[in-house]
Amino acid sequence: MWVLALTATMLAATAPVTISVNPEKVQVVGLPCMPGSLKVGMTNTGTTDRYADLELSAPSPVVADRKIISTWLPAWDPDHTVTTPVGVTVPRTAKPGTYSLTLSVDRTRRTVPVEVLPLPPKDNLVLGEQASASSTHGSFRTCGAVDGDADSANWSTRTGWNDATRAVFPDEYSVSLIAPSAIGRVELQTLDSARYPAAQNGLRDWDVQVRVAGSWVTVDQVRGNAVGRVKSVFPAVQADAVRIVALDSNDHAYSRIVELEAYAR
Amino acid sequence: MLLTGCAPLNVREVTRNQTRRKFLTASGVAAGLAISGALPGIGTSNASTVEVDRLRDYPFRLGIASGDPLPDSVVLWTRLAPHPLDPFGGVNDRPVAVVWQVAEDERFRRVVRTGVEIARRESSHSVHVDVRGLRPWRHYYYRFIVGGHISPVGRTRTAPAPRQALSGMTFAFASCQAWWEGFYTAYRDMAAKDHDVVLHLGDYIYEYGVGADSGVRRQPVPVELTRETMTLDEYRGRYALYKTDPDLQAAHAAAPWVVTVDDHEVENNWAGPISENNAPREEFLVRMANAFRAWYEHTPVRLAQAPNGPGIQLYRRFQYGDLVRFNLLDTRQYRDDQAGGDGEKPPNPGSLDPKRSITGAAQEKWLLDGMAERSARWEVLAHQTAIAQLDVKAGPDMVVPMDTWDGYVASRKRILGGARERGVRNLVSIAGDLHRSVASELREDYAASTPVVGTEFVGTSVTSGRDGMDHDQIGRTILAENPHVKFHNFQRGYVRCEVNAAQWVADYRVADRVTVADGTVSSRSKLIVEDGVPAIQVR
Repeated sequence: MWVLALTATMLAATAPVTISVNPEKVQVVGLPCMPGSLKVGMTNTGTTDRYADLELSAPSPVVADRKIISTWLPAWDPDHTVTTPVGVTVPRTAKPGTYSLTLSVDRTRRTVPVEVLPLPPKDNLVLGEQASASSTHGSFRTCGAVDGDADSANWSTRTGWNDATRAVFPDEYSVSLIAPSAIGRVELQTLDSARYPAAQNGLRDWDVQVRVAGSWVTVDQVRGNAVGRVKSVFPAVQADAVRIVALDSNDHAYSRIVELEAYAR
Repeated sequence: MLLTGCAPLNVREVTRNQTRRKFLTASGVAAGLAISGALPGIGTSNASTVEVDRLRDYPFRLGIASGDPLPDSVVLWTRLAPHPLDPFGGVNDRPVAVVWQVAEDERFRRVVRTGVEIARRESSHSVHVDVRGLRPWRHYYYRFIVGGHISPVGRTRTAPAPRQALSGMTFAFASCQAWWEGFYTAYRDMAAKDHDVVLHLGDYIYEYGVGADSGVRRQPVPVELTRETMTLDEYRGRYALYKTDPDLQAAHAAAPWVVTVDDHEVENNWAGPISENNAPREEFLVRMANAFRAWYEHTPVRLAQAPNGPGIQLYRRFQYGDLVRFNLLDTRQYRDDQAGGDGEKPPNPGSLDPKRSITGAAQEKWLLDGMAERSARWEVLAHQTAIAQLDVKAGPDMVVPMDTWDGYVASRKRILGGARERGVRNLVSIAGDLHRSVASELREDYAASTPVVGTEFVGTSVTSGRDGMDHDQIGRTILAENPHVKFHNFQRGYVRCEVNAAQWVADYRVADRVTVADGTVSSRSKLIVEDGVPAIQVR
């Protein structure tokens, strides 16, 4: 390693940045799609605009869904806080207890307690399990349709999945289990609220598929739907994943699933 | 104008110690340091010394590029990223010295310019070298060296001398390259051909997540790349992902690029400080600042194109002697919000409002004043989206896109009319955004059927929209409803143009498939404009 000495006059004082966290403590269970979440705020309290890098450090078993938050921080008056959501997960095998997540920017550090709760018993086999999608609109999280919140009133603010490809079908939404399990019923809650009734904005046509020994098998086909919750009941099969192949929605724009559930019978 | 002067890094003294000299000698590089200027709003490293990290792993995984050619200058670019999808490309927080060389020959026997730039963490270890003192209208070769790592060799070309009589030139233009919707087959074809310059007209990245396995590419990616980009690290990560593509890298290495942004470098259909879904203004300004910063870090442009927070100077000119002038426009940053709530609508009081603008008043004046100079035989508007009217509804009713110049009819009238009044000899528009090829004759006022004053070549997407087909239903409707549209195609590809004093030839190169890695590209049609005759002939 060789060194070029530069004079210290190049160093401009950087504006100070404060960190805020909401909530101040995160609770999480060991399911991949049921992250604990927090909002991390960065505020430039100085008088010059700047960029800042906030590093997130999560000792095992805590996993944050990002390692860094870099952003422009304007020196507006009044102060403007740039808020970024952070998801925290732990593996299924994590021991219940309290861990920590450390946030640091410049020389400021902030430690957030992360409480790992025991795995809850569940009938809905896909609750919190690993979801994936052909695409996910930026206002949504792929996990949003297996997070246990089936309430259309929370659509897009707190829950739900919406694809990112407007007016392009099919879209796919799938959830993987860690091992094959008997599945005989799949329930799909599409968007259906007073503001966004299913007949106008809900999913209209879709195939329900389960993965059996590595191959997708179609177990139900729903066509012309205009209601919020649709049950697909079929002879139970041993499967390790559930997939919705969305073929059209009532506004022909986006596929919208508030919650997807799968049961043994 | 939001740009302010940029204070150069204040380097009083550079200690040339023995080790460094040895290093430079070993690299065959003459001593001499060029330290890049600091960016507005970007703090410099806290270290009082620049440690020159050797980087254990090969750092040129995002390729190299050159751009914004002038008669005596091109900008060279690279970004050090041994692990492209990691934060900061897997480089630690120490600055890194990057040696650059420009030679007249591919083997670097005649090196004509060389220097050292410092790659810093606050610029995600990107470097921009504004190489000066080059000779006009000639090819040069360039490369970068970090420690024992040598980059691929790029080929570039300066612009001709001012007012040089130019017998002909060849260039390409492209746009819209959604990562998850296809392979960059078009760039493989582009890289294999000779172009004096390549223009990229926007949607180089998309803000959308690419999907857990990158769509048709079936390449698993880290979770950060599956989210919509909001923060600077997310925009940086998206550019890094896109730039790992070998065909895109090859196209950059083959010719200098001139790059602007469209909407997806920030967010779908943004209009100035107004976001697609009306996010709070303050929130969106921060997002714009992050997006522009990442664009600058990954694009071979000069410091004049570095953003100052949520503002960036994108419109600029490139002169190719007396033959072609490229007016690179910015029709996103200064536009009025889309009329009628955006989408496709019948012409309405908003879209017809004489006060509304897609360029903003300052840019419009800059453009028209430039046209008055009549500096070149072919006056080119290189920009984002279609100027021509595009009725997309079959039958007597008219429905037009609110995001194109159809939503800003007054701009169309003022700029096309302004070109006519100023005696522009051949006005040609090149654009993208539509994900389809559309060649049109331009009229100031389609309703009044005023005379044709120019021609327009909208190029299709590189990948966005997947494979496509020769004509889809919308394309057939466009051809049927718009007699001024002379050509349409709905496949993916790019446009290669050969221009001389007598004619302009636009060769629409299309890929048979982009959803597989081994598609092939061929010429779909050659469209010709004769000098002095604003009409499109299809060969």
